[in-house]
Amino acid sequence: MGTEFTIDLYARDETTAEDLANLAFDEIDRLEDLLSNYRPSSELSRISREAGNGPVTTDPETFRFLERSLFWSERSDGAFDITVGPLLKAWGLYQHGGRVPSEAELQALRDTIGWEKIRLDRQGRSVVFTTHHAMDLDPGSIGKGFAVESAEKLLREAGVSSALISAGGSTLYAIGTPPGESGWPVKVDDPRYPGVVAATVSLKNTSLSTGACTQKFFIKDGHRYCHIFNPQTMRPVEGVLQTTVISPSATDSDALSTVVFVLPPEASRRALRGLPGTEALIFLGPAAGPAPAGGCVAINWQGDPCSPKSPSQQKEPHP
Amino acid sequence: MFAEISIAAKGTAPLITRRQFTQAVSAVAVSSSASLWNRPASAEPSAIEAAEADAARQIAPTKDSTPFRLGIIGAGSRGQELIRSFLRVPGVSVAAAADVYEPRFAQLNRICGREVAAHKDYRALLDRKDLNAVIVATPLGLHGEHVTAALAGGHHVYGEKVMAYTIEQANGIVSAAAEHKRIYQIGHQYRYSPWIRAAVLRVQKGEIGDVTHIMGYWNRNNDWRRPVPGPLPDPSLEHLINWRLYHEWSLGLIAELGSHHMDIANWVFGEYPVAALASGSICRYHDGRETDDNVQAILSYSGGRRFIFTSITDNAKMGDQLWLYGTKGSLNLTLEDATFFYEPKKIARAPARAAKDEGVTTSASYNPANEMPYRGPGKPVDVSTAEDPTTAATRAFVYCVRTGTLPIADTKVGLGSALGVIQANESLRLRKEVAVPSQG
Repeated sequence: MGTEFTIDLYARDETTAEDLANLAFDEIDRLEDLLSNYRPSSELSRISREAGNGPVTTDPETFRFLERSLFWSERSDGAFDITVGPLLKAWGLYQHGGRVPSEAELQALRDTIGWEKIRLDRQGRSVVFTTHHAMDLDPGSIGKGFAVESAEKLLREAGVSSALISAGGSTLYAIGTPPGESGWPVKVDDPRYPGVVAATVSLKNTSLSTGACTQKFFIKDGHRYCHIFNPQTMRPVEGVLQTTVISPSATDSDALSTVVFVLPPEASRRALRGLPGTEALIFLGPAAGPAPAGGCVAINWQGDPCSPKSPSQQKEPHP
Repeated sequence: MFAEISIAAKGTAPLITRRQFTQAVSAVAVSSSASLWNRPASAEPSAIEAAEADAARQIAPTKDSTPFRLGIIGAGSRGQELIRSFLRVPGVSVAAAADVYEPRFAQLNRICGREVAAHKDYRALLDRKDLNAVIVATPLGLHGEHVTAALAGGHHVYGEKVMAYTIEQANGIVSAAAEHKRIYQIGHQYRYSPWIRAAVLRVQKGEIGDVTHIMGYWNRNNDWRRPVPGPLPDPSLEHLINWRLYHEWSLGLIAELGSHHMDIANWVFGEYPVAALASGSICRYHDGRETDDNVQAILSYSGGRRFIFTSITDNAKMGDQLWLYGTKGSLNLTLEDATFFYEPKKIARAPARAAKDEGVTTSASYNPANEMPYRGPGKPVDVSTAEDPTTAATRAFVYCVRTGTLPIADTKVGLGSALGVIQANESLRLRKEVAVPSQG
């Protein structure tokens, strides 16, 4: 996952807190071993390598990961897609670089991507690719959330009632609240205005994930290329600065932060319809939103995060 | 990689090079223990290839989905990881579990995605007639009792390392497997790692010359503790959850970490060790534990060859890695890869045969590194199927049970590392070198 995880937690003493944090970090290491597409020995890499040759039986946890990934692919009409690995490589983003591939190069990749080419058989807990070739599954848009959720469940089982788990600051889960507080305060920056906070959220027993082009991107000929791809166009998404999603599940908020990044706002509203406890905040760049600063779209978001604010007019946390 | 310059060396006989000398030593050493191994380092190339082909059959992906029902004794963290791996094998399901710690059953149910029959007494699990095999992943001090009972009960066993807490128990497992004609596979999964197998094969073919020393590091930076549940520490659970820290069931870092490396040393050297010398202390974590938080162990093999293991738990810089040092190069093995490094070529051409009392002229190369460590890249071992070793090992076990094949990591392999672990701990206790009793 290539992400630094941090955990703040309250326990009966420092030694216990350290042991609990280590327990959670061990779990995150285990998930990294399971799902990393940078490790040929991971279970996800084994499936990528072998499922083109016929059904590959996998363990229930990995199967659940794949089921949830395909669930979001279907619900988002393919905006979310873990088969985009070849695109990240073609665009030079697999190794933190960046290049613009030719149109011919991209078209040649068309048959190598597409979530609908993954078939799952729940009865036999197996995976097969209809391409009859190896695919390149990339957990980048959901793996961090899956790891955070696993760590959350483990810490709860170990009796932790107050903790904040963070995957690189982009996916957070709050277990309970800090003692005497109503929640874990989390600030959501307004990327249109440096130094301005759009909202301060008080997280409690829920997760928050952010997708942004402000940290992972490359610039070529003066154009900024984002690391989040539209699988349909096979190109980086344009015109979106940042998305933030709150969801009871860290796996889901991680996936949804990509879903609403890729989909147009109205389609995002449809994708989120009927999901309990799920809110989204989308900041658009100048090209796609109203001039001059770009737009802001709030979906089920409590409060008014889109109203213009100065650094001194920060929003109070909502309950 | 290395800059080479030629120098002319002059001298007189003896016409035996250092390489030839060490070859001669290792040939004697290996032949004395060849019966222990189906593939010693000196084996004929055809025998090596045949053994490798057999290993490849065991490890290969399978489409066979014949129902295969497992029972597990000891469903703690390692047992759970084994279950995850076993469930990647077509046809495998978990039918029953035995554990003395109640929360393990719910954890196991979550991993399996279904209700697994729970037994508080392992003997009830062994009485079941619906199991194809049993996993034993209890604390080390219980392996002897649990594995022997399982074998005697007619079950094939996948047993976590180390094989047993005492040599007598280990020999008991060897005897029980033979007597009851049951398969026993030890959890030395690195025998099934594609990159380690490929690298060791190249070592056996002589790629780095004669391996005389192997160094193993397994360093961490944590206290090796698992949190004990509850609002207040429960002393009765402390020894159960943190059994690795107490002598009753644990042989400490040498067992839990070093045994994997000792197994690879046995594999590469082609024999069991003959003596063990170890030290250790509690240097960092003065928290009531009994087993050391740092250990150093040396296993001696024939011909003066040595395996050296060190583990510290307050600095993780070296991580988990093995270095095989041969006369022509080195091999670095890690959890994810294998990399070769080569010595500067000191002798570029065979010396011309010289008449008595005449000088010998030869050609050699020399790397003027002033004994600075080499810091450049090595030559990685390229394997196309670098899958998780435990996934491969568990699949191979199912293959062996289904087909009646002797496992790669069989009782002899298990006994070998157990001997090293047990005697190294004995040395640590006695503070002196101890012999490893010869077997058979």
